[in-house]
Amino acid sequence: MKKGISVFAATLLLACLAMLLGCHSKSVDLHIYTWADYIKPELVQRFELENRCKIIIDTFDSNEAMYAKLKAGATGYDLITPSSYMAKIMNDQGMLLSLDHAQLPNLLHIDSEYLQIAIDPEMKYSVPYMVSYTGLGYLQDAVADVTPSWKMLERPELKGRMTMLNDMRETIGAALKYLGYSLNTVNDDELLAAKAVVIGWKKNLAKFENEQYKTGLASGEFQLVHGYSGDILKVQEDNEQVAFLIPEEGFSLACDDLVIPKTAGQVDLALKFINFIHTPNVAAANTEYISYLCPNRASYDLLSEEIKSNPGIFPSAAIRSKGEVIQDLGESNGKYTKIWDEIKAAGD
Amino acid sequence: MKRSRLPFVVTIGVLIFFYLPIMVLVVNSFNASTYGGHWGGFSLRWYLKLMGQRDILLALENTIIIAISATLASCILGTTAAFALHYYKSALQRCHFILIYTPLVVPEILMGMSLLLAFVAVGVRLGLFTIFLAHVTFCVSYVAMVVLARLQDFDMAVIEAAQDLGANWWVTTWRVLAPMLAPGIASGALLALTLSVDDFVISFFVAGPGSTTLPIRIYSMIKFGSPAVLNALSTILLAVTFILVWASQRLTTNKEKAT
Repeated sequence: MKKGISVFAATLLLACLAMLLGCHSKSVDLHIYTWADYIKPELVQRFELENRCKIIIDTFDSNEAMYAKLKAGATGYDLITPSSYMAKIMNDQGMLLSLDHAQLPNLLHIDSEYLQIAIDPEMKYSVPYMVSYTGLGYLQDAVADVTPSWKMLERPELKGRMTMLNDMRETIGAALKYLGYSLNTVNDDELLAAKAVVIGWKKNLAKFENEQYKTGLASGEFQLVHGYSGDILKVQEDNEQVAFLIPEEGFSLACDDLVIPKTAGQVDLALKFINFIHTPNVAAANTEYISYLCPNRASYDLLSEEIKSNPGIFPSAAIRSKGEVIQDLGESNGKYTKIWDEIKAAGD
Repeated sequence: MKRSRLPFVVTIGVLIFFYLPIMVLVVNSFNASTYGGHWGGFSLRWYLKLMGQRDILLALENTIIIAISATLASCILGTTAAFALHYYKSALQRCHFILIYTPLVVPEILMGMSLLLAFVAVGVRLGLFTIFLAHVTFCVSYVAMVVLARLQDFDMAVIEAAQDLGANWWVTTWRVLAPMLAPGIASGALLALTLSVDDFVISFFVAGPGSTTLPIRIYSMIKFGSPAVLNALSTILLAVTFILVWASQRLTTNKEKAT
């Protein structure tokens, strides 16, 4: 009996060791490093069939963790999807490959309006993958006569039932946009004016917060929240009274990009994948699955009416042109930090 | 004198604090509503959704392979280390003790980062094998400490008696030493298994392409995936854990009755 257990244990150990070491398959593998649930599975299968390869997806949970890992020397990834600001940092550090546009004919479909405000407008090292917005989510049955404006945050009847993001760039940025300034401004007068606006809003808010607002909106505890389009659209699946609006004064826009690290082993296949993702019908299918917008102009016509009429995914061209990408301000970040501290300390 | 009711109240309070969140999670895994803020009716949709996700099942497979292999390897290494630490009292062994003890107190992030740097420097390909090595590295310490505690009240005369009676090294080890240390090794193994299944920070750093484990996958899902699928997954893990604990308890009590 005792012998049986030890023999069993030894066999198990050997079997596991064999599995640990024996994972090298013969076929060509494309290793994608991305967020969870960020590519439609059927599209992955289609690419695998068309190119007779295997796609292996690994996931990270924050740009910073992914960066730290790659910076330390981790290799083996062929394609990564960091947010734009992180793609820029990685490129500045010389970690990314310059993209050969000759192998990416589908780049001509990419929305030129988005590219004008992108951090890498010439797509030297990154190709935009998915765009999301920051706006306002609200309950249709609780908020009367909705106007698409940041002014909603001044509504006295919603006092104590509203939240804003606990993120200095997003929240001060909202006030800057409300005043008609750029959300990347470093002008002191503009920032002072924005500070006064946020302090005015703060009197009405339940709190500044980044996670709980989703549950709060779903349950009706909060009636108007400042948040990310992707999050609010998820809440919508749960509570059909939830709606999303993008303020007409302007808003912040975030994008995740497709980049190829210099250490990639399958550069050609990775380029093929980027080109595949921007095939109009693929981009449209992916947009419908993820509920973020793939900025591929030719795919817009292929989207279903349901998606096209949803301002959280597909705002009208007039509104889209009001979006701005939050840029890293280097040393001037300190100005925002100081104002944010003053906002946090004000009132109460 | 009337006994104080305070210990009773504290015990109940602590138990509620431990188990209430788990109960909320289990209940919510059957909740049709995504955000669990309100009850949307009984539903198995999250379990069905979970079954359809190839990536999650792959991550689960990776986690199981690593947990089992790391537990077995660290049990062998940890037990032998504990034996050496207990049996020989030299300056070298004191040094050995410090080295074994250190991983228990080194911050995880430091260990993950330094292991990654070491693997990159040596040129090992990151993957399941590097996660296995990393997990053995910290599990050995836990197993060694647990077995060492067991050895403190171990009577070495038993081994001498066995040898006097003509048992050779092999027989002594397997028929005398191993059964007497078995409870210690088993609890060390359970600890190692839990730590290995649980570990996120170290695994994140040493994981390579194609070796995403369940915790890494779960953390990433918090950002984009559905939180309700996580509830379903956690409930299944919880059920498996309870069955394992129950089975191991039954096994040990049966054995004690037999002897």
